[in-house]
Amino acid sequence: MNEFELLRNITIGQYLPADSYLHRLDPRAKILAAILVIAAVTFTPSLVGNACLLAAALALVRVGRIPLAYALRGLVPAVPLLVLLAVMQLLFFGRNYDPTSSVVFQWRWLAVTIVVTAAVLKLVVVSAARFIELLLVTSVFTLSTKTTELTLGIESLLRPFRRLRVPAHELALVVTIAVRFVPTLALEAERLMKAQASRGGRFGGGRWHFVTRVRQLLPILVPLVTYALRRGEELIVAMEARAYTGGTGRTAYTVLASGPGDWLAVCIAAAFLAAMLLAPFPA
Amino acid sequence: MQDAGRGALSIRGIVISAVLAAVAILLGATRVGFIPTPTGIAATIMHVPAIIGGVLEGPVVGAIIGTIFGVYSFFYATVPMFKDPIVAIAPRIFIGIFAAWTYWSLRRMSELWAIVLAAIVGTATNTVLVLGFGVARHYLPAKVAWVVGITHGIPEVVVAVILSVAVLLPWKRAHRGQARARV
Repeated sequence: MNEFELLRNITIGQYLPADSYLHRLDPRAKILAAILVIAAVTFTPSLVGNACLLAAALALVRVGRIPLAYALRGLVPAVPLLVLLAVMQLLFFGRNYDPTSSVVFQWRWLAVTIVVTAAVLKLVVVSAARFIELLLVTSVFTLSTKTTELTLGIESLLRPFRRLRVPAHELALVVTIAVRFVPTLALEAERLMKAQASRGGRFGGGRWHFVTRVRQLLPILVPLVTYALRRGEELIVAMEARAYTGGTGRTAYTVLASGPGDWLAVCIAAAFLAAMLLAPFPA
Repeated sequence: MQDAGRGALSIRGIVISAVLAAVAILLGATRVGFIPTPTGIAATIMHVPAIIGGVLEGPVVGAIIGTIFGVYSFFYATVPMFKDPIVAIAPRIFIGIFAAWTYWSLRRMSELWAIVLAAIVGTATNTVLVLGFGVARHYLPAKVAWVVGITHGIPEVVVAVILSVAVLLPWKRAHRGQARARV
């Protein structure tokens, strides 16, 4: 019956309570700092830079008082994919990627030639390192931030853009409703799967049965989306009946208050991003 | 909707974005949205809610659903290529926008074909942009991207078309009062 337990396997907004600087950080500052650090990881192509980033990501895990094994949970299922990625990069890039780079390894068999250049080797290492760094950073962020804090933070950060007609409050409400609806829809999906199963429907089947899989899924997916839309219509009526008027003039129960300690994190992250982008790393 | 005129999101826009984004998150979180294929890389239908949202409520709603789907898939990705915000988030914003534009420009001709083409365009946007950014960021060599695009793009298009038509056509008819019970 394991296949029907959808609700239990959902990992959204997994908060790990702890008393750390990152947990106490103002969500606005934390979102900004996270964006800056993610940008630093995304745009650093050098080996030395990625070594610095890996050290920084590990430091973040430490500061957040999150067990390293917990932050790295996503790594185990990803190992085969990382290997696949590395093999693909090694086999196919060859001289097409940076032709000026020196050849490290060459192998020829009949018409097949495999060339591995130093640039490709560097690319493999950087891709893997970047994945681990982003895994750590995003884990620390999701494990140290509650979903309510996140939506409050998004709303507050978007508020200055209201003049550009960006609906800050409405967007935060979209996120809140979406997160709230996921368990409801998971229950409905379970119900639909059980209903199908009780009528002899079967799920699963290997990767060679693509068409069968799709035919099994459609009787679940179509009613699921229709159910979501119908629940949505009910919610629309409920909100209109209660005269929901959007964000203008609305006050909040929780008011975010940030101190210098919070903005210090943003400054450190910004300085870090600037250092990563401007530093002349040798490799 | 009175607040639609103010440029803000209408109540309908907020709720439909939210429930369809929840469907996309659910499909990702439960792995129901990934269909294993013989090549080992799963085909996805997680982008279909963005297409449906774009067709029902327009490009803004489609873009919001796509963005939430993209951010979710970035945060919870286990595939190295999707742990890159440029590959995971940026392409997804455009799925609903292009699907909505396609639907709007064609709906006067035929409701059915407008939905079919919106689903095709939306899925193609996802496949082409994700693989394109993947190549640009050196996760995939161009040759591999072409092969993946053909072996996965086509089944994804077929599933997306079936799902979009099956959901949207009766929904639109029911809301226009054209639906008839058929036995």
